[in-house]
Amino acid sequence: MKLKINKYLLPLYVLSFCLFLYLPIMILMMYSFNEGGFPAEWQGLSLRWYYDLFESVEIWRAFKNSLIVAVGSACLSLSMGLMLVCGAKQLKKNIVFFFFSNILIPDIVIAVGMLSLFSYFMVPLGLITLVIGHTLLGLGFTIPVLKSRLDELDYRLVEASYDLGASSLYTFRYVILPFLYPAIVVSALMVLIVSFDDFVIAFFCSGSSAQTLSLYVFTMIRLGISPTVNALSTIMLLVSSFFILAISILQARLANYE
Amino acid sequence: MFDELKKLIKSESYFFLITPAFIWQVAFLVLPVLFIIILSLSSSQGLDLVRNYTLHNFSEVMSMSHVRIVMRSIMLASCTAIASLLLAYPVAYFLALYIKRYKFFFLFLLSVPFLINVLVQVYAWFFILEKNGLFNQVLFFLGLIKKPVNFLNSSFAVYLVMFHVYLPFMIMPLYSSLEKIDIKLIEASYDLGSSFRKTLLHIILPLSMPGIRVGFFLVYVVSFGEYVIPSLLGGMKLFFVGTLISEYFFIGKDWHLGAAFICLSWGMLFLSAMMYHWIFNKIMVQSKIIR
Repeated sequence: MKLKINKYLLPLYVLSFCLFLYLPIMILMMYSFNEGGFPAEWQGLSLRWYYDLFESVEIWRAFKNSLIVAVGSACLSLSMGLMLVCGAKQLKKNIVFFFFSNILIPDIVIAVGMLSLFSYFMVPLGLITLVIGHTLLGLGFTIPVLKSRLDELDYRLVEASYDLGASSLYTFRYVILPFLYPAIVVSALMVLIVSFDDFVIAFFCSGSSAQTLSLYVFTMIRLGISPTVNALSTIMLLVSSFFILAISILQARLANYE
Repeated sequence: MFDELKKLIKSESYFFLITPAFIWQVAFLVLPVLFIIILSLSSSQGLDLVRNYTLHNFSEVMSMSHVRIVMRSIMLASCTAIASLLLAYPVAYFLALYIKRYKFFFLFLLSVPFLINVLVQVYAWFFILEKNGLFNQVLFFLGLIKKPVNFLNSSFAVYLVMFHVYLPFMIMPLYSSLEKIDIKLIEASYDLGSSFRKTLLHIILPLSMPGIRVGFFLVYVVSFGEYVIPSLLGGMKLFFVGTLISEYFFIGKDWHLGAAFICLSWGMLFLSAMMYHWIFNKIMVQSKIIR
């Protein structure tokens, strides 16, 4: 009897746990297809909020801003992270710990600190300050991922490349980079997601000119429930879960190679 | 001359490789944090932001009402961290040691909420907690309430949504430490005749202690400064640390007091984290004595 409880209790618990995690999102998605304006009543299936969404100029502008910031900070944090990881490998000292603080320090402290520093030096707030902040967050994600991958590289391969007369740039291009490739894709996707999702740094460091998607959603929520936000949230959810699927497939493949 | 320079660059190449990231880190993380400390110790005069070093800001911030807000945030962070630790542990155990098939699917299923936009999650809860929402309907159906209750703008809503949002943060560290446990140790424990309970207490729990620590402190520290959830679900009266900071920096425009409040609250956070660290060590020692 006791064995039977053990056998079914845990999967059942995990299922209800997942249900708890997903229930609010499911309901949100359901109401984005609701015909009626006020979301409490179900009035039949329609796509009218999605039409509204694609016609809104404000949302497209916010999306464009978010895209610029996300791609810019992904490129910057990825290139700096790559350089740092390779440099740290040569230095043979563990300096990577310095960058763990980016995730551990709550983003409100970073945001407020940057806001006051920028205004002290009269730096105008806008997309550039936003890219700066998100690059900082991105460094905290890219560097651990890249470092753990680089640590797995058999260093004899690099030495062999040097022995056979390759320059350091050539070695980087044809030995190190292909090996790091999956980790680079994973960390780039992570930075993209983090930048798209970040609200606090955008709230403090973007000024009034640059509205991102998260800021738009925040102001809309402040105004109350609107089905357009449901439609927008549904699309954002689908896109980021697609990205996460790509990340997990890549990571599973990384684990299988070992 | 040129060759020598080239040689120098080559031999010291790591220096040029690590500099950009370091400069970035120092300029946009270390300096802002230092600047907050400077702000908290100074007062402004006209347009000049930093003038006259004083301790006046701290004496003003050290009032009962501020300390109460910090205590409220510590309470919220503690409840979130403890509740999510207790409820996420079985799930991490299930992922790491229980299932063999569909593991990838479950990993994906549990890592999606980890990276979903917090705003979207908070917004989703509106539909459950509002007056005609699901929660009210279920309670009405069960006969527990007579008329709809507004759950929004209450500390109940804040606690519930905090718990929901930070649960996934706990699973990943727990999972990665449980995954590393050598399965032979558990099998040996069973072979030597100990029950599931004994194996859990003496083998699995102590070996997963690093993951428990990482998960607990991650959730504790990050949820302490949470801004979005209290400001959207807590209403106008219920202040937490994150909302009060933004109040100082956006509405009150008194940056010096705000900076002093940040220093005060993070000092108290540090003290309470040390307390939890001490408790964890105590538990570790205790469990060794029992064995």
